Amino acid sequence: MLVLSRQRDETIMIGDAVEITIVDIRGDKVRLGINAPHQVAVHRKEVYDAIKAENRKAAEAQGVEFNALSSAVRPGRRAGLSPAGRINSKATNKTSNGNPTDEHATRLPLNGSDTRRKAST
Amino acid sequence: MQVKTTRFGVVDIADDKVITFTQGLLGFPDHTRYCLLEPGDDACFFWLQSLDEPALAFVVTDPALFFKEYEVPIRAEQAEALSIEKIEDAQVFVIVNKVGEVLTANLQGPLLINTLNLDGQQLVLADKRWSTRHTLMQVGIEEKQAATA
Repeated sequence: MLVLSRQRDETIMIGDAVEITIVDIRGDKVRLGINAPHQVAVHRKEVYDAIKAENRKAAEAQGVEFNALSSAVRPGRRAGLSPAGRINSKATNKTSNGNPTDEHATRLPLNGSDTRRKAST
Repeated sequence: MQVKTTRFGVVDIADDKVITFTQGLLGFPDHTRYCLLEPGDDACFFWLQSLDEPALAFVVTDPALFFKEYEVPIRAEQAEALSIEKIEDAQVFVIVNKVGEVLTANLQGPLLINTLNLDGQQLVLADKRWSTRHTLMQVGIEEKQAATA
């Protein structure tokens, strides 16, 4: 690992596009300012690692329980993406549950959840 | 196309149903093509099945069904990367895990998918309200309810 000494307000460059500036040093805490192109994702490593580890564990789940669950929980609303395939090859007549959503649409209006998703555009 | 899966045998998937995570999921950078499988009618849990690795599949759900307060901020460049033009065209899923007898959802690493072109990306949220393990439900209790229903 390359180790560099820097003082407050000094900067290092990584490639042409990534700048890391020492903004503040207090005790054992260092504040970094990062300038990077939008395509470069910047994360705290522990968060990134936690999600990675959780993905791995989830991939190991056997999932027999989930099939039972799907009938136990009846949501008011379905996910918008229509699934690619049904695991149980049941008939696809979907009008029986009175749910107004159209199973065969490629996507559905997301209703209430739209307003909870924010775009910074 | 015919897709081999460990859990469900061979599944037939239409080409236009393939979900592409260009960067893979965190920890699985080499697996980029997935499809969404539905375990049964009226399901709120789905399988996100890898098309490249038969044994790789994740249980996912729509977080809006369980967490009313949950929101995923989508930055302009993230929307751009997935060619999301309208927020209505975006769908969020979260990966479900089983910890003991509890089902949990990873709200810190949601999956964002453009429902029009089926490009997806796993996001990393900085918001401290969301962790990798939010309780969805107790498995045992729900199964009992299902049996008596």
